[in-house]
Amino acid sequence: MELPSISQLLFVLFGAMALGCAVAMVAQRNPLYSAISLVGVFVSLACLYLTLQAPFIAAVQVIVYAGAIMVLVVFVIMLLNVEEEVRRPVRLHYLIPVGVLLAAILVGEAAFMLSLGSGGAARVTPMAPAASDIGLTASIGTGMFTKYLLPFEVTSVLILMALVGAISLARQGRTPLLAAPGNVSEEPAALTAGGELALKPGDTAATGRAFARQQLERGEAAAPSRAASEEDEG
Amino acid sequence: MIPLTWYLALSAVLFTIGVVGVIIKRNAIAMFMCIELMLNAVNLTFVAFSSYFGDVTGQLFVFIVMTVAAAEAAVGLGIIIAIFRNRESLDVDDASVLRL
Repeated sequence: MELPSISQLLFVLFGAMALGCAVAMVAQRNPLYSAISLVGVFVSLACLYLTLQAPFIAAVQVIVYAGAIMVLVVFVIMLLNVEEEVRRPVRLHYLIPVGVLLAAILVGEAAFMLSLGSGGAARVTPMAPAASDIGLTASIGTGMFTKYLLPFEVTSVLILMALVGAISLARQGRTPLLAAPGNVSEEPAALTAGGELALKPGDTAATGRAFARQQLERGEAAAPSRAASEEDEG
Repeated sequence: MIPLTWYLALSAVLFTIGVVGVIIKRNAIAMFMCIELMLNAVNLTFVAFSSYFGDVTGQLFVFIVMTVAAAEAAVGLGIIIAIFRNRESLDVDDASVLRL
């Protein structure tokens, strides 16, 4: 019997790790455990990229996926304090057999493609990952900034749009009105006994401007004394 | 020597697990993570073909897919936070109508 080569052993090891983590991710009911399992999938896929001689993609996989995206996901899970999913009565019972049927069709299609692949895809195997420089950063950079410059630039625009969209989606409350004179309807903030401004939750910048205008109308009761004290210190 | 078919089979199985997760999960964040898993399965196919054909294009495409996934994560999580703020729940069954 032929012994498996080291690359086959590595493939089986990391492939099994990826599959196990993926199944665990779907089976978990706690989203935080799902997220940790997904990190396991990402790391084992990065190892598979290394066996495919794509070190740049492997590094980016760990940095961007396991590092940035999953930190964002875990941050949101903890921010929203998501506990385990509650079991609910299943609605639409007839959908379960339909779902099983569709999953079977999907698996069957994949198996059909792969059995075709034993004739089709296997023919490209001789080109196999020989020692080459196609996975190195230099060749990827060359490709990205010459032949594929337009997709790269479009991607940067996409990132800008995502930035603006994420900020405008996640921001709390309405857009504050610009405080033109006569455009401020908020109640002016009250002065405490000590003379400082008492800010309440819900006060906006407009409230502060209304307060400042009220101070001006009152003949700058507080401001001159503060200015005087600053002069004394200076 | 690993046949290319092994990588394709692994990728197909991972993709199917992602699809099943999207179907059976009801937590919005868990569905989101299953979508990430599907993107990664496709990335594995791209890198395998790129490596076996000796062509760098597949890896460039993986890079762009990762960028899109990062943008998707930012916007998607923003939407999830907005939904949670309005409905106090992440269950997609609670968000089945646009009206509150």
